[in-house]
Amino acid sequence: MNPQNLLIPILLPLLLALFSFLLPSGIKRLREIVSVLGAALFVYVAVSFFGGKETLFTLPWMGHGIDFELRLYQFSQFILLAVSGFTFLIVLYSTVRMAGNPRLREYYGYLFLTAAMSAGAVLANNFVPLVFFWEGLLITLYALITIGGKGSHRTAVKAFLIGGFCDFCMILGIAILWSQTGTLRLSDISVVPQGLTAVSFYLMMIGAVAKAGSMPFHTWIPDAAVDAPVAVMAFIPAALEKLLGIYMLSRICLDLFRLEVNSAPALVLMTLGALTIVLAVFMALIQKDLKKLLSFHAVSQVGYMMLGIGTAIPIGIAGGIFHMINHAMYKSGLFLAAGSVEQQAGTTELKKLGGLARSMPLTALGFIVCAAAISGIWPLNGFVSKEMVFHGSYETGFTIFTIAAWLGAILTFASFLKAGHSVFFGPRSLETAAVKESRSPIYIPILVLAALCVLFGVYNALPLKLFIQPILAGRAAAGEHLDFTAHALAVFNPIALISMGCLLIAFALHYFGFRRGGNKAYLASEPIHRLPVLRTIYDLAEARVFDLYEQGIKGLQAFSRLLFRFVDRPIDAFYEKFVVQIGRAATGALKAVHNGLYANYLAWAVGGLVIIVWAIGALTR
Amino acid sequence: MTNNIQTIILLTIFVPIVGSLTIPLAGLISKRARSFWSVLIALATTASSMLLIPFALRGGELAFRKTLALGLDFVVVADALSVFMAVASSFIGALIVVYSLGYIAHEENQNEYYFIVLLFIGAMMGLVFSANLVFMYLFWEIAAIACWRLIGFYRVRDHVLKADKAFLMTFFGAVAMLLGFILIYAQTGTFDLTAMRGTAIPGIAVLLILLGMFSKSATVPLHTWLPDAGVAPTTVTALLHAAVLVKIGVYAYARLFSYTFQLPEGWQQAIPILVVFSSLVSAAAAAVENDLKRILAYSTVSQIGYIFLGFAVMNPMGVSGSLLFILMHGLAKAGLFLCAGIIIHATHERDIRKLGGLIKTMPWTAGAFIFCAFSVIGIPPFGGFFSKFMVIVATVQSGRVWVAAAALFAAVLTMYYLFRIFSAVFMGEAAPASGHREGTRSMVFVVVTLAVLSLLAGLFVAYPTKLANIAAGEILRWIQ
Repeated sequence: MNPQNLLIPILLPLLLALFSFLLPSGIKRLREIVSVLGAALFVYVAVSFFGGKETLFTLPWMGHGIDFELRLYQFSQFILLAVSGFTFLIVLYSTVRMAGNPRLREYYGYLFLTAAMSAGAVLANNFVPLVFFWEGLLITLYALITIGGKGSHRTAVKAFLIGGFCDFCMILGIAILWSQTGTLRLSDISVVPQGLTAVSFYLMMIGAVAKAGSMPFHTWIPDAAVDAPVAVMAFIPAALEKLLGIYMLSRICLDLFRLEVNSAPALVLMTLGALTIVLAVFMALIQKDLKKLLSFHAVSQVGYMMLGIGTAIPIGIAGGIFHMINHAMYKSGLFLAAGSVEQQAGTTELKKLGGLARSMPLTALGFIVCAAAISGIWPLNGFVSKEMVFHGSYETGFTIFTIAAWLGAILTFASFLKAGHSVFFGPRSLETAAVKESRSPIYIPILVLAALCVLFGVYNALPLKLFIQPILAGRAAAGEHLDFTAHALAVFNPIALISMGCLLIAFALHYFGFRRGGNKAYLASEPIHRLPVLRTIYDLAEARVFDLYEQGIKGLQAFSRLLFRFVDRPIDAFYEKFVVQIGRAATGALKAVHNGLYANYLAWAVGGLVIIVWAIGALTR
Repeated sequence: MTNNIQTIILLTIFVPIVGSLTIPLAGLISKRARSFWSVLIALATTASSMLLIPFALRGGELAFRKTLALGLDFVVVADALSVFMAVASSFIGALIVVYSLGYIAHEENQNEYYFIVLLFIGAMMGLVFSANLVFMYLFWEIAAIACWRLIGFYRVRDHVLKADKAFLMTFFGAVAMLLGFILIYAQTGTFDLTAMRGTAIPGIAVLLILLGMFSKSATVPLHTWLPDAGVAPTTVTALLHAAVLVKIGVYAYARLFSYTFQLPEGWQQAIPILVVFSSLVSAAAAAVENDLKRILAYSTVSQIGYIFLGFAVMNPMGVSGSLLFILMHGLAKAGLFLCAGIIIHATHERDIRKLGGLIKTMPWTAGAFIFCAFSVIGIPPFGGFFSKFMVIVATVQSGRVWVAAAALFAAVLTMYYLFRIFSAVFMGEAAPASGHREGTRSMVFVVVTLAVLSLLAGLFVAYPTKLANIAAGEILRWIQ
């Protein structure tokens, strides 16, 4: 392939973005048509790139080893394909869901800019263009959240500050790695994380997992679920950021650094993953709003990917990466379904919804399939990838991580039983009496994603052989088998049986809560919510006590006040008070000497003369 | 060829200086003629400095002298460093003069205003092309006087006091610097920089000269005059922060401490720490202040720290990063101040707590503000990203990981306080005194231009980088 073609996936969405920005806002139809067709073309480009030979495109840029270098190979082909696919589905969905938004022109513009920069970040083979695109995504994310309207600006700033902080961490990590290895080309670097390079690993890891939405950098996501347009949620936190973050994390753990099984960095990553799974799913369980519930799952699921990649065992890594693409599909589908419900019913509050399955059968079908997939029900894609992560984490010997993952599985299923039950089953609520099914551009993307969830589960050989194995090939130690398809759907082994057991526990929990709550599905999580210690923790969490952002801002303010009050102001006081006083005292003293008395001045003059004579005498001697 | 270059350099220096003297004469004809004439002189200065770019890109270096008495030769040096500085300063200066047409139109003493502004730009041009310490000092003090007069432009008693403060602090620094120059003269017997490359100078001279640079470039602990200087007309503040004044100190640093002299080891280690401390303290102050212009002023102090840092780590990446930083910061900070000017012009309010919701009435200003803010924070694709990134990376490469981490922390604070301004001023509930309109056409045109330039400077960063890399190579040549 002609290397210059690598610019197409960046330039095509960029042109579409410019088109949307420049087209007067009154013209709606044309914008939508061009956007949908353009996005389809983007998919076509990505498909045509797929499976091609490895291609390298280099353009000298800034000197110092900073080149604009793009590299297309198996992994970037795969991510690019996913990015383009989601772009297309979201654009299609937006034609109906976003219609009537006063900032439509900006919306499509930023959407395509996001796609362009994501493509750039995926293709970059030099750290500087990588950071250029990666950090540039902050701006489009910020802008897209503000499109949500009133009150969304606060959340947008929050997302920006958190993202900015983590990106700065990554920049520092890159700088350290650069100074250690002497190169900026990603494909040339492969080091063992120890000493300074371990610091670099952690810093870059922060950048990658924060983009993916891991704890504790996730707190803008639940806020954005309320404030941002639902299509933005389905596009960015649910799909694109997972793809990019986990792509980067895999690059870090597989290529840039050689992560050893159970080494300290691997354990840190797994711990962070396990904590993310458990803590976020506990938060998801008690949510009373569908979108917020989904957003906490968008955090929790990242934990599985991190856990899988952190195992540094082929089956775990493969499971983590597979989980990434699976998650992007079902979580995006779930958000889109929530958006469909919101548009028709006017709300996503679980309490106000109920019995929608009859009037919105297609949305309900999509939602149920995606929810079953995220819960890991046999034989859907979520089951396959989760099993792989369970196996991988079990093989490391630290069973505690596997147990955490199982706990996550229980609560995930329980919360989706609650959500699905509340929204689609049970009696119709009065508010939603006249609800109808959404239009086809809304339910088609949902159904496509649901179908893919089934496909990737039942025919898991397809994604595993086509996408995942080529990524691992050449990196795994010789002789390690990379064919995970043989028993991907096997149920009769201890781990799979325990997983199934977990689902039964979840069902029991839901049923118990449902009965206790007076047959109201949205109260099904209350028994767990009301447990003695948990209740206090939940209350604190609702008060944002654990929100690192809120605490961090307070910390920043305190730090700033400290420096201002004890360094800056004293320095100024030195000039304003001390120097002025000294000056005043000096001029006062001189003033006092000038008393206007003739004798005084005469004495000065004589004294001066004596000094001059003495000086001349001294010099001439 | 060489003669041509000489003529262009002399034109770049003397067009604004001599031109400034003709402003009052033009003022006798009419206001319109005077304003037109001022813009013309500023543009001519920019154009003539830009004519030097091809020469600098070829890696040309030229020094020529006019012999005067007492060894005080007027030595002019043109290389990539001086051309880069001259272009960046004169270009931003010219944009500010254009903006002044709208901003200053209703003030008194406009003759004086344009006269001093152009003299100021001329002094900057003289400074960057001088390779004689005495002439550097001369232009340095012309700038100080111009600055003093402009800060006290409104002639309110309080403003004049602030102007005095600025003058006294920078003058104190300058005198210390002059003492340092004399020490160097005692050692080398010359004021000619071209003859002194690679000379090791004593620590005490470094300290004295550093006082001069830090006072001029408003670095902790000699910075507090700069926020106070915000009482000046906003155009003046923008000029001081972005184009001429505070860049003098960093330019002098590059010319003296990077290009010419060899510093004692202790200072080489201490300066990066000092300037990062300055960055942090001022970023913290910016996060606490509530006055729009004071926040931006502290922000300048904070960003100046990065520029010093890049020069201080003494590797090619750092030096080119800092040079780019001068350009990027100039564009973006001028944009921010001029946006602030539009806001203050329309609302007569500088306390960000009393402002709000202006994005509805001033969409262009708001857009320009956020663009420039992105650039100052260092977010791609804006220009500020590359300069900050290069400085940080260079700091790490020189082995100072903690210094780089502190600098990045200052960048987090930058992000915080700039968004704080944006949220408070443009978002939220509309301010009580509603019905504000956008600024005049020339004002909005200039801020939008600066914002777009900040973006273009990032997208086409390869071009300024080329010149900066050549300059960095020339500056560090004596080390290799």
